[in-house]
Amino acid sequence: MENPTSATDKATEAQYRQELFDRLKKSLSFRRQEECFESSIEPTFWWLVEKPNPSIEDLTWLIPSGCICNKRSLIKKRAECVIHMREILRKAAQKRAIVRFACPQGLYGFAYPIAQGDKLYGFIGAYYIKKDVSDDTLNIFATFTDAIVREVQKEVELSKLYETIRPRAIALSTVHTVHRLISSTLDMNELLPRIVRLSLQVIRANRCSLKLVDARRKQLLPKATVDVREKKSKLKKIAVGKWAPGKAVKYGRPIKGADYLAVPLIDEDVIGVITVYDKIDKKPFSDFDQEIMMTLAEQAVIAIKNAQLYKEQEKLTIGSIRSLAAALDTRAPGAYIRRASTLKICLAIGQAMRMDANELKSLEYAVVLHDAGQVTVPSEVLTKPTKLTGKEFKIVKEHPAKGVEIIRHIKALKTVIPIILHHHENYDGSGYPKGIRKDQIPLGARIMAAVSAFEAMITKKPYRPPMTVDQAVAEIKNNSGTQFDPKIVDEFLKVMKRKDIRALLKKEPYEHR
Amino acid sequence: MSIDDALRSAIHRKIIEFFHENQASIDTPRGVSTWVNEDRAKVRKALEDLVALNILTAHRVSSTTGYCYTRDTKVISRIGKLLKETT
Repeated sequence: MENPTSATDKATEAQYRQELFDRLKKSLSFRRQEECFESSIEPTFWWLVEKPNPSIEDLTWLIPSGCICNKRSLIKKRAECVIHMREILRKAAQKRAIVRFACPQGLYGFAYPIAQGDKLYGFIGAYYIKKDVSDDTLNIFATFTDAIVREVQKEVELSKLYETIRPRAIALSTVHTVHRLISSTLDMNELLPRIVRLSLQVIRANRCSLKLVDARRKQLLPKATVDVREKKSKLKKIAVGKWAPGKAVKYGRPIKGADYLAVPLIDEDVIGVITVYDKIDKKPFSDFDQEIMMTLAEQAVIAIKNAQLYKEQEKLTIGSIRSLAAALDTRAPGAYIRRASTLKICLAIGQAMRMDANELKSLEYAVVLHDAGQVTVPSEVLTKPTKLTGKEFKIVKEHPAKGVEIIRHIKALKTVIPIILHHHENYDGSGYPKGIRKDQIPLGARIMAAVSAFEAMITKKPYRPPMTVDQAVAEIKNNSGTQFDPKIVDEFLKVMKRKDIRALLKKEPYEHR
Repeated sequence: MSIDDALRSAIHRKIIEFFHENQASIDTPRGVSTWVNEDRAKVRKALEDLVALNILTAHRVSSTTGYCYTRDTKVISRIGKLLKETT
Protein backbone atom coordinates (compact mmCIF):
# COMPACT_ATOMS: atom_id res chain seq x y z
CA MET A 1 0.00 0.00 0.00
CA GLU A 2 1.20 3.48 -0.86
CA ASN A 3 2.18 5.66 2.09
CA PRO A 4 0.15 8.89 2.47
CA THR A 5 3.15 11.21 2.04
CA SER A 6 4.07 9.73 -1.29
CA ALA A 7 0.40 9.85 -2.39
CA THR A 8 0.28 13.56 -1.50
CA ASP A 9 3.55 14.19 -3.33
CA LYS A 10 2.23 12.42 -6.40
CA ALA A 11 -1.00 14.43 -6.31
CA THR A 12 0.99 17.68 -6.00
CA GLU A 13 3.26 16.64 -8.85
CA ALA A 14 0.28 15.73 -11.05
CA GLN A 15 -1.30 19.10 -10.25
CA TYR A 16 1.94 20.91 -11.12
CA ARG A 17 2.25 18.93 -14.40
CA GLN A 18 -1.33 19.72 -15.32
CA GLU A 19 -0.80 23.44 -14.74
CA LEU A 20 2.49 23.39 -16.63
CA PHE A 21 0.88 21.85 -19.71
CA ASP A 22 -2.22 24.07 -19.47
CA ARG A 23 -0.02 27.15 -19.46
CA LEU A 24 2.25 25.72 -22.16
CA LYS A 25 -0.75 25.19 -24.45
CA LYS A 26 -1.88 28.79 -23.84
CA SER A 27 1.63 30.19 -24.28
CA LEU A 28 1.92 32.56 -27.21
CA SER A 29 5.64 31.71 -27.62
CA PHE A 30 4.72 28.03 -27.86
CA ARG A 31 2.17 28.67 -30.62
CA ARG A 32 4.60 30.89 -32.53
CA GLN A 33 7.27 28.20 -32.34
CA GLU A 34 4.86 25.67 -33.87
CA GLU A 35 3.96 28.09 -36.69
CA CYS A 36 7.61 28.86 -37.31
CA PHE A 37 8.63 25.19 -37.59
CA GLU A 38 5.60 24.22 -39.66
CA SER A 39 6.75 26.63 -42.36
CA SER A 40 10.16 24.96 -42.55
CA ILE A 41 9.33 21.28 -42.05
CA GLU A 42 6.20 20.84 -44.18
CA PRO A 43 2.69 20.21 -42.82
CA THR A 44 2.98 18.17 -39.69
CA PHE A 45 1.21 16.91 -36.58
CA TRP A 46 2.33 18.18 -33.23
CA TRP A 47 2.02 16.03 -30.19
CA LEU A 48 2.06 17.00 -26.61
CA VAL A 49 2.19 14.01 -24.29
CA GLU A 50 1.20 15.26 -20.85
CA LYS A 51 2.50 12.26 -18.91
CA PRO A 52 5.98 10.88 -18.34
CA ASN A 53 4.69 7.30 -18.83
CA PRO A 54 1.79 7.47 -21.29
CA SER A 55 -0.44 4.40 -21.67
CA ILE A 56 -1.17 2.61 -24.94
CA GLU A 57 -4.57 4.32 -24.97
CA ASP A 58 -3.02 7.79 -24.51
CA LEU A 59 -0.78 7.18 -27.51
CA THR A 60 -3.52 5.66 -29.69
CA TRP A 61 -5.31 9.01 -29.55
CA LEU A 62 -2.22 10.69 -30.97
CA ILE A 63 -2.28 8.87 -34.30
CA PRO A 64 -3.46 11.38 -36.93
CA SER A 65 -6.89 10.60 -38.40
CA GLY A 66 -5.49 10.66 -41.96
CA CYS A 67 -2.75 8.12 -41.24
CA ILE A 68 -3.11 4.60 -42.49
CA CYS A 69 -2.28 3.37 -38.97
CA ASN A 70 -5.50 4.88 -37.68
CA LYS A 71 -7.76 2.67 -39.77
CA ARG A 72 -9.87 0.46 -37.56
CA SER A 73 -9.49 -2.43 -39.94
CA LEU A 74 -5.73 -2.37 -39.52
CA ILE A 75 -5.56 -3.02 -35.82
CA LYS A 76 -2.17 -4.72 -36.12
CA LYS A 77 -0.63 -1.68 -37.84
CA ARG A 78 -2.08 0.63 -35.22
CA ALA A 79 -0.63 -1.49 -32.44
CA GLU A 80 2.77 -1.49 -34.16
CA CYS A 81 2.59 2.29 -34.53
CA VAL A 82 1.76 2.81 -30.85
CA ILE A 83 4.49 0.44 -29.69
CA HIS A 84 6.92 2.28 -31.95
CA MET A 85 5.86 5.64 -30.50
CA ARG A 86 6.26 4.29 -27.00
CA GLU A 87 9.76 3.09 -27.78
CA ILE A 88 10.70 6.53 -29.16
CA LEU A 89 9.42 8.25 -26.01
CA ARG A 90 11.26 5.80 -23.79
CA LYS A 91 14.51 6.59 -25.64
CA ALA A 92 13.91 10.33 -25.41
CA ALA A 93 13.21 9.97 -21.67
CA GLN A 94 16.38 7.96 -21.13
CA LYS A 95 18.62 10.29 -23.14
CA ARG A 96 16.85 13.44 -21.96
CA ALA A 97 17.43 14.66 -25.49
CA ILE A 98 15.62 15.01 -28.78
CA VAL A 99 15.09 11.70 -30.63
CA ARG A 100 14.50 11.55 -34.35
CA PHE A 101 12.64 8.64 -35.95
CA ALA A 102 11.13 7.27 -39.13
CA CYS A 103 7.82 5.49 -38.78
CA PRO A 104 6.97 2.15 -40.47
CA GLN A 105 4.96 4.12 -43.06
CA GLY A 106 8.09 5.98 -44.19
CA LEU A 107 7.21 9.24 -42.47
CA TYR A 108 9.52 11.14 -40.10
CA GLY A 109 9.18 12.68 -36.70
CA PHE A 110 10.92 13.61 -33.47
CA ALA A 111 10.19 13.63 -29.73
CA TYR A 112 11.66 15.91 -27.08
CA PRO A 113 11.29 15.35 -23.32
CA ILE A 114 9.93 18.16 -21.14
CA ALA A 115 11.90 17.84 -17.92
CA GLN A 116 13.23 19.82 -14.99
CA GLY A 117 16.25 18.33 -13.21
CA ASP A 118 15.50 14.66 -12.76
CA LYS A 119 11.73 15.20 -13.08
CA LEU A 120 10.17 14.24 -16.39
CA TYR A 121 6.76 15.81 -17.07
CA GLY A 122 5.97 14.71 -20.63
CA PHE A 123 6.99 15.11 -24.25
CA ILE A 124 6.60 17.44 -27.15
CA GLY A 125 7.17 16.30 -30.69
CA ALA A 126 6.14 16.33 -34.30
CA TYR A 127 5.48 13.51 -36.72
CA TYR A 128 3.89 12.69 -40.03
CA ILE A 129 6.66 14.74 -41.62
CA LYS A 130 7.38 13.80 -45.21
CA LYS A 131 11.11 14.68 -45.28
CA ASP A 132 13.67 13.94 -42.61
CA VAL A 133 14.50 16.94 -40.39
CA SER A 134 18.08 18.21 -40.20
CA ASP A 135 20.10 18.15 -36.96
CA ASP A 136 20.38 21.94 -37.04
CA THR A 137 16.60 22.33 -37.15
CA LEU A 138 16.20 19.88 -34.29
CA ASN A 139 18.83 21.66 -32.20
CA ILE A 140 17.07 25.00 -32.73
CA PHE A 141 13.75 23.34 -31.80
CA ALA A 142 15.24 21.90 -28.59
CA THR A 143 16.78 25.25 -27.61
CA PHE A 144 13.51 27.12 -28.24
CA THR A 145 11.47 24.52 -26.40
CA ASP A 146 13.77 24.64 -23.39
CA ALA A 147 13.47 28.44 -23.23
CA ILE A 148 9.66 28.34 -23.51
CA VAL A 149 9.32 25.56 -20.92
CA ARG A 150 11.59 27.44 -18.51
CA GLU A 151 9.48 30.58 -19.00
CA VAL A 152 6.27 28.65 -18.34
CA GLN A 153 7.76 26.87 -15.32
CA LYS A 154 8.65 30.26 -13.83
CA GLU A 155 5.09 31.42 -14.41
CA VAL A 156 3.74 28.32 -12.64
CA GLU A 157 6.10 28.79 -9.70
CA LEU A 158 5.23 32.47 -9.39
CA SER A 159 1.56 31.63 -9.46
CA LYS A 160 2.06 28.98 -6.74
CA LEU A 161 4.01 31.45 -4.64
CA TYR A 162 1.24 34.04 -5.04
CA GLU A 163 -1.40 31.49 -4.04
CA THR A 164 0.61 30.51 -0.96
CA ILE A 165 1.64 33.97 0.18
CA ARG A 166 -1.54 35.95 -0.52
CA PRO A 167 -3.83 34.18 2.03
CA ARG A 168 -1.12 34.48 4.66
CA ALA A 169 -0.61 38.16 3.89
CA ILE A 170 -4.38 38.72 4.13
CA ALA A 171 -4.49 36.86 7.48
CA LEU A 172 -1.53 38.93 8.74
CA SER A 173 -3.23 42.14 7.65
CA THR A 174 -6.40 41.04 9.49
CA VAL A 175 -4.43 40.39 12.68
CA HIS A 176 -2.80 43.82 12.34
CA THR A 177 -6.17 45.54 11.80
CA VAL A 178 -7.68 43.73 14.80
CA HIS A 179 -4.71 44.90 16.88
CA ARG A 180 -5.33 48.51 15.79
CA LEU A 181 -9.05 48.26 16.52
CA ILE A 182 -8.71 46.81 20.00
CA SER A 183 -5.76 48.91 21.11
CA SER A 184 -7.55 52.14 20.23
CA THR A 185 -9.68 52.16 23.37
CA LEU A 186 -8.87 52.16 27.07
CA ASP A 187 -12.50 51.92 28.13
CA MET A 188 -13.25 48.37 29.29
CA ASN A 189 -16.97 48.77 28.55
CA GLU A 190 -16.09 49.44 24.94
CA LEU A 191 -13.07 47.14 24.66
CA LEU A 192 -14.54 43.79 25.78
CA PRO A 193 -17.59 43.79 23.44
CA ARG A 194 -15.26 44.90 20.63
CA ILE A 195 -12.93 41.92 21.24
CA VAL A 196 -15.97 39.62 21.16
CA ARG A 197 -17.35 41.09 17.91
CA LEU A 198 -13.95 40.93 16.19
CA SER A 199 -13.38 37.33 17.32
CA LEU A 200 -16.76 36.37 15.87
CA GLN A 201 -15.83 38.03 12.61
CA VAL A 202 -12.38 36.52 12.26
CA ILE A 203 -13.45 32.99 13.17
CA ARG A 204 -16.84 33.23 11.38
CA ALA A 205 -18.64 31.83 14.41
CA ASN A 206 -22.19 32.40 15.64
CA ARG A 207 -21.47 33.02 19.31
CA CYS A 208 -18.60 34.42 21.32
CA SER A 209 -18.22 35.05 25.00
CA LEU A 210 -15.50 36.75 27.02
CA LYS A 211 -15.19 35.97 30.70
CA LEU A 212 -12.75 37.37 33.24
CA VAL A 213 -11.45 35.44 36.23
CA ASP A 214 -12.63 36.34 39.72
CA ALA A 215 -9.70 34.68 41.51
CA ARG A 216 -11.23 35.18 44.96
CA ARG A 217 -14.36 33.22 44.16
CA LYS A 218 -12.75 30.88 41.61
CA GLN A 219 -15.37 31.94 39.11
CA LEU A 220 -15.48 33.24 35.58
CA LEU A 221 -17.53 36.42 35.30
CA PRO A 222 -19.22 37.03 31.94
CA LYS A 223 -18.17 40.43 30.60
CA ALA A 224 -19.33 40.36 26.99
CA THR A 225 -21.33 37.86 24.97
CA VAL A 226 -22.67 38.15 21.44
CA ASP A 227 -24.84 35.59 19.68
CA VAL A 228 -25.60 36.64 16.11
CA ARG A 229 -28.64 34.32 16.05
CA GLU A 230 -30.29 35.76 19.17
CA LYS A 231 -31.05 39.36 20.05
CA LYS A 232 -30.38 38.87 23.75
CA SER A 233 -27.30 37.07 24.96
CA LYS A 234 -27.22 35.10 28.17
CA LEU A 235 -24.56 36.07 30.67
CA LYS A 236 -23.65 33.11 32.85
CA LYS A 237 -21.09 32.84 35.63
CA ILE A 238 -19.22 29.55 35.60
CA ALA A 239 -16.80 27.88 37.93
CA VAL A 240 -13.13 27.53 37.06
CA GLY A 241 -12.64 23.97 35.77
CA LYS A 242 -16.19 23.61 34.49
CA TRP A 243 -17.12 23.44 30.82
CA ALA A 244 -14.70 24.38 28.06
CA PRO A 245 -14.06 27.99 29.27
CA GLY A 246 -13.49 26.80 32.85
CA LYS A 247 -11.12 24.07 31.70
CA ALA A 248 -9.19 26.48 29.44
CA VAL A 249 -8.64 28.71 32.50
CA LYS A 250 -7.81 25.81 34.82
CA TYR A 251 -5.26 24.21 32.48
CA GLY A 252 -4.06 27.44 30.83
CA ARG A 253 -4.37 26.05 27.29
CA PRO A 254 -6.96 26.11 24.49
CA ILE A 255 -9.81 23.60 24.73
CA LYS A 256 -11.24 22.69 21.34
CA GLY A 257 -14.29 20.66 20.37
CA ALA A 258 -16.21 20.35 17.12
CA ASP A 259 -18.48 23.28 17.95
CA TYR A 260 -16.51 25.25 20.53
CA LEU A 261 -13.06 26.71 21.03
CA ALA A 262 -12.02 28.25 24.35
CA VAL A 263 -8.73 30.15 24.49
CA PRO A 264 -7.34 31.43 27.80
CA LEU A 265 -6.23 35.05 28.19
CA ILE A 266 -2.81 34.69 29.75
CA ASP A 267 -0.79 37.53 31.20
CA GLU A 268 1.44 36.45 34.09
CA ASP A 269 -1.52 34.41 35.19
CA VAL A 270 -4.76 33.44 33.43
CA ILE A 271 -6.95 36.55 33.53
CA GLY A 272 -9.88 35.28 31.47
CA VAL A 273 -11.06 33.28 28.50
CA ILE A 274 -12.57 33.90 25.06
CA THR A 275 -14.84 31.16 23.76
CA VAL A 276 -16.27 30.92 20.26
CA TYR A 277 -19.11 28.55 19.44
CA ASP A 278 -20.75 27.16 16.26
CA LYS A 279 -19.04 28.16 13.03
CA ILE A 280 -21.30 29.77 10.43
CA ASP A 281 -20.33 27.14 7.84
CA LYS A 282 -21.11 24.40 10.43
CA LYS A 283 -17.57 23.00 10.05
CA PRO A 284 -15.61 21.96 13.16
CA PHE A 285 -13.05 24.39 14.60
CA SER A 286 -9.66 23.79 12.96
CA ASP A 287 -6.07 24.10 14.15
CA PHE A 288 -5.83 27.26 12.03
CA ASP A 289 -8.83 28.74 13.94
CA GLN A 290 -7.01 27.91 17.17
CA GLU A 291 -3.82 29.63 15.95
CA ILE A 292 -5.76 32.75 14.97
CA MET A 293 -7.68 32.82 18.27
CA MET A 294 -4.46 32.44 20.25
CA THR A 295 -2.96 35.42 18.40
CA LEU A 296 -6.11 37.41 19.00
CA ALA A 297 -6.11 36.40 22.69
CA GLU A 298 -2.53 37.66 23.06
CA GLN A 299 -3.55 41.02 21.62
CA ALA A 300 -6.69 41.09 23.78
CA VAL A 301 -4.65 40.51 26.95
CA ILE A 302 -2.41 43.49 26.18
CA ALA A 303 -5.41 45.71 25.46
CA ILE A 304 -7.25 44.54 28.61
CA LYS A 305 -4.19 45.07 30.80
CA ASN A 306 -3.68 48.54 29.32
CA ALA A 307 -7.32 49.42 30.00
CA GLN A 308 -7.07 48.08 33.57
CA LEU A 309 -3.88 50.07 34.20
CA TYR A 310 -5.47 53.19 32.74
CA LYS A 311 -8.48 52.73 35.01
CA GLU A 312 -6.19 52.33 38.03
CA GLN A 313 -4.23 55.45 37.05
CA GLU A 314 -7.45 57.34 36.55
CA LYS A 315 -8.67 56.31 40.01
CA LEU A 316 -5.34 57.44 41.45
CA THR A 317 -5.56 60.81 39.67
CA ILE A 318 -9.14 61.52 40.74
CA GLY A 319 -8.27 60.31 44.28
CA SER A 320 -5.35 62.76 44.43
CA ILE A 321 -7.54 65.56 43.11
CA ARG A 322 -10.22 64.85 45.72
CA SER A 323 -7.58 64.73 48.48
CA LEU A 324 -6.24 68.07 47.28
CA ALA A 325 -9.76 69.53 47.27
CA ALA A 326 -10.44 68.11 50.75
CA ALA A 327 -7.19 69.63 52.06
CA LEU A 328 -8.12 73.01 50.59
CA ASP A 329 -11.65 72.79 51.95
CA THR A 330 -10.38 72.82 55.54
CA ARG A 331 -9.53 76.51 55.04
CA ALA A 332 -13.02 77.56 54.00
CA PRO A 333 -15.60 74.74 54.25
CA GLY A 334 -17.73 74.49 51.10
CA ALA A 335 -15.35 76.52 48.96
CA TYR A 336 -13.63 73.53 47.36
CA ILE A 337 -15.67 70.35 47.73
CA ARG A 338 -18.35 70.44 45.07
CA ARG A 339 -21.87 69.12 45.23
CA ALA A 340 -22.49 65.74 43.57
CA SER A 341 -25.26 67.50 41.62
CA THR A 342 -22.75 70.01 40.17
CA LEU A 343 -20.71 67.21 38.63
CA LYS A 344 -23.81 65.44 37.34
CA ILE A 345 -25.26 68.61 35.77
CA CYS A 346 -21.93 69.54 34.16
CA LEU A 347 -21.47 66.07 32.67
CA ALA A 348 -25.08 65.94 31.43
CA ILE A 349 -24.62 69.28 29.64
CA GLY A 350 -21.22 68.12 28.32
CA GLN A 351 -22.81 64.98 26.86
CA ALA A 352 -25.62 67.02 25.31
CA MET A 353 -22.96 69.28 23.76
CA ARG A 354 -21.34 66.13 22.26
CA MET A 355 -18.13 66.26 24.27
CA ASP A 356 -16.03 63.12 23.81
CA ALA A 357 -14.90 60.85 26.66
CA ASN A 358 -11.61 62.72 27.19
CA GLU A 359 -13.31 66.13 27.25
CA LEU A 360 -15.86 64.85 29.77
CA LYS A 361 -13.03 63.51 31.93
CA SER A 362 -11.33 66.96 31.87
CA LEU A 363 -14.65 68.57 32.77
CA GLU A 364 -15.02 66.16 35.71
CA TYR A 365 -11.55 67.06 37.02
CA ALA A 366 -12.27 70.76 36.50
CA VAL A 367 -15.49 70.51 38.55
CA VAL A 368 -13.45 69.27 41.50
CA LEU A 369 -10.54 71.67 41.09
CA HIS A 370 -11.88 74.83 39.45
CA ASP A 371 -11.58 76.94 42.59
CA ALA A 372 -8.23 75.50 43.74
CA GLY A 373 -6.70 78.96 43.21
CA GLN A 374 -8.77 80.29 46.12
CA VAL A 375 -6.10 78.82 48.38
CA THR A 376 -4.18 82.06 47.70
CA VAL A 377 -7.15 84.17 48.81
CA PRO A 378 -6.93 85.11 52.53
CA SER A 379 -9.49 83.21 54.68
CA GLU A 380 -10.92 86.48 56.02
CA VAL A 381 -11.80 87.47 52.43
CA LEU A 382 -13.30 84.06 51.65
CA THR A 383 -15.45 84.10 54.79
CA LYS A 384 -16.18 87.83 54.89
CA PRO A 385 -19.88 88.37 55.77
CA THR A 386 -20.10 91.77 54.03
CA LYS A 387 -19.51 93.02 50.49
CA LEU A 388 -15.90 92.79 49.23
CA THR A 389 -13.88 95.96 48.71
CA GLY A 390 -12.33 96.69 45.29
CA LYS A 391 -8.94 95.50 46.50
CA GLU A 392 -10.41 92.29 47.93
CA PHE A 393 -12.33 91.58 44.72
CA LYS A 394 -9.10 92.07 42.75
CA ILE A 395 -7.48 89.32 44.87
CA VAL A 396 -10.49 87.02 44.28
CA LYS A 397 -10.29 87.64 40.52
CA GLU A 398 -6.76 86.27 40.49
CA HIS A 399 -7.88 82.80 41.67
CA PRO A 400 -8.32 81.19 38.21
CA ALA A 401 -4.71 82.02 37.24
CA LYS A 402 -3.48 80.93 40.69
CA GLY A 403 -5.44 77.65 40.27
CA VAL A 404 -3.63 77.03 36.99
CA GLU A 405 -0.29 77.65 38.75
CA ILE A 406 -1.15 74.94 41.29
CA ILE A 407 -2.10 72.22 38.78
CA ARG A 408 0.14 73.03 35.82
CA HIS A 409 2.87 70.64 37.00
CA ILE A 410 0.47 67.68 36.94
CA LYS A 411 0.66 66.31 33.37
CA ALA A 412 -2.64 64.42 33.66
CA LEU A 413 -4.43 67.73 34.31
CA LYS A 414 -3.06 69.60 31.29
CA THR A 415 -6.43 69.54 29.51
CA VAL A 416 -8.15 70.91 32.61
CA ILE A 417 -6.14 74.17 32.57
CA PRO A 418 -8.26 76.06 29.95
CA ILE A 419 -11.47 75.25 31.87
CA ILE A 420 -10.05 76.42 35.20
CA LEU A 421 -8.47 79.56 33.71
CA HIS A 422 -11.63 80.71 31.91
CA HIS A 423 -14.52 79.55 34.11
CA HIS A 424 -15.21 83.17 35.18
CA GLU A 425 -15.31 84.54 31.63
CA ASN A 426 -18.68 85.90 30.54
CA TYR A 427 -20.30 85.15 27.18
CA ASP A 428 -20.44 88.89 26.35
CA GLY A 429 -16.74 89.41 27.19
CA SER A 430 -17.33 91.14 30.56
CA GLY A 431 -15.75 88.36 32.65
CA TYR A 432 -12.22 87.73 33.89
CA PRO A 433 -9.23 87.08 33.69
CA LYS A 434 -8.92 87.66 29.89
CA GLY A 435 -12.29 89.18 29.00
CA ILE A 436 -12.69 86.79 26.05
CA ARG A 437 -16.18 86.22 24.59
CA LYS A 438 -18.50 83.68 22.93
CA ASP A 439 -16.71 80.72 21.26
CA GLN A 440 -13.30 82.08 22.34
CA ILE A 441 -14.20 80.71 25.75
CA PRO A 442 -13.53 76.95 25.92
CA LEU A 443 -16.72 74.85 25.93
CA GLY A 444 -15.87 73.25 29.29
CA ALA A 445 -15.37 76.72 30.83
CA ARG A 446 -18.74 77.93 29.45
CA ILE A 447 -20.46 74.92 31.04
CA MET A 448 -18.52 75.37 34.27
CA ALA A 449 -19.44 79.10 34.38
CA ALA A 450 -23.20 78.45 34.28
CA VAL A 451 -23.23 75.46 36.63
CA SER A 452 -20.82 76.91 39.22
CA ALA A 453 -22.89 80.15 39.25
CA PHE A 454 -26.01 78.06 39.85
CA GLU A 455 -24.23 76.15 42.62
CA ALA A 456 -23.07 79.40 44.27
CA MET A 457 -26.62 80.80 44.17
CA ILE A 458 -28.22 77.81 45.96
CA THR A 459 -25.43 77.71 48.54
CA LYS A 460 -25.62 79.76 51.71
CA LYS A 461 -22.86 82.36 51.81
CA PRO A 462 -21.60 84.40 54.82
CA TYR A 463 -23.02 87.53 53.22
CA ARG A 464 -26.42 86.18 51.92
CA PRO A 465 -28.94 83.36 52.30
CA PRO A 466 -29.24 80.68 49.56
CA MET A 467 -31.72 81.02 46.68
CA THR A 468 -34.17 78.23 45.97
CA VAL A 469 -33.38 75.96 43.02
CA ASP A 470 -36.17 77.54 40.92
CA GLN A 471 -34.97 81.07 41.72
CA ALA A 472 -31.41 80.13 40.72
CA VAL A 473 -32.62 78.47 37.50
CA ALA A 474 -34.58 81.64 36.65
CA GLU A 475 -31.49 83.76 37.31
CA ILE A 476 -29.37 81.61 34.96
CA LYS A 477 -32.10 81.95 32.31
CA ASN A 478 -32.18 85.75 32.76
CA ASN A 479 -28.47 85.96 32.09
CA SER A 480 -28.54 83.80 28.95
CA GLY A 481 -26.67 85.57 26.12
CA THR A 482 -24.92 88.02 28.46
CA GLN A 483 -23.16 86.14 31.23
CA PHE A 484 -23.85 82.64 29.91
CA ASP A 485 -23.79 80.91 26.51
CA PRO A 486 -27.45 80.58 25.36
CA LYS A 487 -26.83 77.04 24.03
CA ILE A 488 -25.45 75.97 27.39
CA VAL A 489 -28.38 77.62 29.17
CA ASP A 490 -30.84 75.73 26.91
CA GLU A 491 -29.19 72.44 27.82
CA PHE A 492 -29.01 73.48 31.50
CA LEU A 493 -32.76 74.13 31.53
CA LYS A 494 -33.41 70.69 30.01
CA VAL A 495 -31.17 68.99 32.57
CA MET A 496 -32.87 70.85 35.42
CA LYS A 497 -36.19 69.29 34.42
CA ARG A 498 -34.78 65.80 35.05
CA LYS A 499 -36.27 64.07 38.08
CA ASP A 500 -32.97 62.46 39.14
CA ILE A 501 -31.24 65.87 39.24
CA ARG A 502 -34.08 67.44 41.24
CA ALA A 503 -34.01 64.51 43.66
CA LEU A 504 -30.25 64.82 44.08
CA LEU A 505 -30.47 68.57 44.74
CA LYS A 506 -33.13 67.94 47.39
CA LYS A 507 -30.91 65.47 49.22
CA GLU A 508 -27.92 67.81 49.40
CA PRO A 509 -27.58 69.73 52.67
CA TYR A 510 -25.46 72.55 51.30
CA GLU A 511 -28.27 75.11 51.36
CA HIS A 512 -27.58 75.50 55.05
CA ARG A 513 -23.96 76.46 54.60
CA MET B 1 -27.40 51.64 -4.95
CA SER B 2 -28.53 47.97 -4.93
CA ILE B 3 -26.42 44.80 -4.71
CA ASP B 4 -26.89 44.34 -8.47
CA ASP B 5 -25.67 47.92 -9.11
CA ALA B 6 -22.66 47.27 -6.86
CA LEU B 7 -21.76 44.17 -8.84
CA ARG B 8 -21.90 46.18 -12.05
CA SER B 9 -19.34 48.68 -10.73
CA ALA B 10 -15.81 47.31 -11.23
CA ILE B 11 -14.38 48.60 -7.96
CA HIS B 12 -17.37 47.53 -5.82
CA ARG B 13 -17.31 44.12 -7.47
CA LYS B 14 -13.58 43.67 -6.79
CA ILE B 15 -14.14 44.49 -3.11
CA ILE B 16 -17.13 42.15 -2.86
CA GLU B 17 -15.13 39.37 -4.53
CA PHE B 18 -12.24 39.97 -2.14
CA PHE B 19 -14.44 39.70 0.97
CA HIS B 20 -16.44 36.78 -0.46
CA GLU B 21 -13.20 34.84 -1.01
CA ASN B 22 -11.71 35.95 2.33
CA GLN B 23 -14.73 35.97 4.61
CA ALA B 24 -12.67 36.07 7.82
CA SER B 25 -10.75 39.16 6.73
CA ILE B 26 -10.97 42.51 8.50
CA ASP B 27 -9.08 45.29 6.83
CA THR B 28 -8.64 49.04 6.64
CA PRO B 29 -9.26 51.03 3.42
CA ARG B 30 -5.51 51.03 2.90
CA GLY B 31 -5.33 47.22 3.17
CA VAL B 32 -8.35 46.64 0.94
CA SER B 33 -7.01 49.02 -1.71
CA THR B 34 -3.82 46.91 -1.80
CA TRP B 35 -5.71 43.63 -2.21
CA VAL B 36 -7.97 44.96 -4.98
CA ASN B 37 -5.25 47.13 -6.54
CA GLU B 38 -7.37 50.28 -6.72
CA ASP B 39 -7.05 53.90 -5.61
CA ARG B 40 -7.47 54.28 -1.84
CA ALA B 41 -9.93 57.20 -1.97
CA LYS B 42 -12.19 55.34 -4.40
CA VAL B 43 -11.95 52.20 -2.27
CA ARG B 44 -12.87 54.19 0.85
CA LYS B 45 -16.01 55.52 -0.86
CA ALA B 46 -16.94 52.08 -2.25
CA LEU B 47 -16.47 50.48 1.19
CA GLU B 48 -18.97 52.92 2.69
CA ASP B 49 -21.45 52.17 -0.15
CA LEU B 50 -21.14 48.46 0.67
CA VAL B 51 -21.66 49.15 4.39
CA ALA B 52 -24.89 50.97 3.46
CA LEU B 53 -25.97 47.85 1.54
CA ASN B 54 -25.21 45.65 4.60
CA ILE B 55 -22.68 43.69 2.57
CA LEU B 56 -19.88 44.90 4.83
CA THR B 57 -19.73 45.82 8.51
CA ALA B 58 -17.63 48.77 9.67
CA HIS B 59 -15.75 48.72 12.98
CA ARG B 60 -15.02 52.40 13.56
CA VAL B 61 -12.37 53.69 15.96
CA SER B 62 -10.76 57.11 16.18
CA SER B 63 -7.66 56.21 14.15
CA THR B 64 -9.19 54.01 11.43
CA THR B 65 -12.11 51.86 10.32
CA GLY B 66 -11.92 48.10 9.92
CA TYR B 67 -14.24 46.63 7.30
CA CYS B 68 -15.37 43.02 7.22
CA TYR B 69 -17.87 40.84 5.40
CA THR B 70 -21.45 40.44 6.54
CA ARG B 71 -22.33 37.47 8.73
CA ASP B 72 -25.81 37.25 7.22
CA THR B 73 -25.84 33.85 5.52
CA LYS B 74 -28.74 34.85 3.26
CA VAL B 75 -26.82 37.86 1.94
CA ILE B 76 -23.66 35.77 1.55
CA SER B 77 -25.41 33.06 -0.46
CA ARG B 78 -27.21 35.65 -2.60
CA ILE B 79 -23.91 37.35 -3.38
CA GLY B 80 -22.30 33.99 -4.14
CA LYS B 81 -25.09 33.23 -6.61
CA LEU B 82 -24.93 36.68 -8.24
CA LEU B 83 -21.14 36.51 -8.57
CA LYS B 84 -21.43 33.16 -10.37
CA GLU B 85 -24.22 34.37 -12.63
CA THR B 86 -22.40 37.54 -13.64
CA THR B 87 -18.90 36.09 -14.15
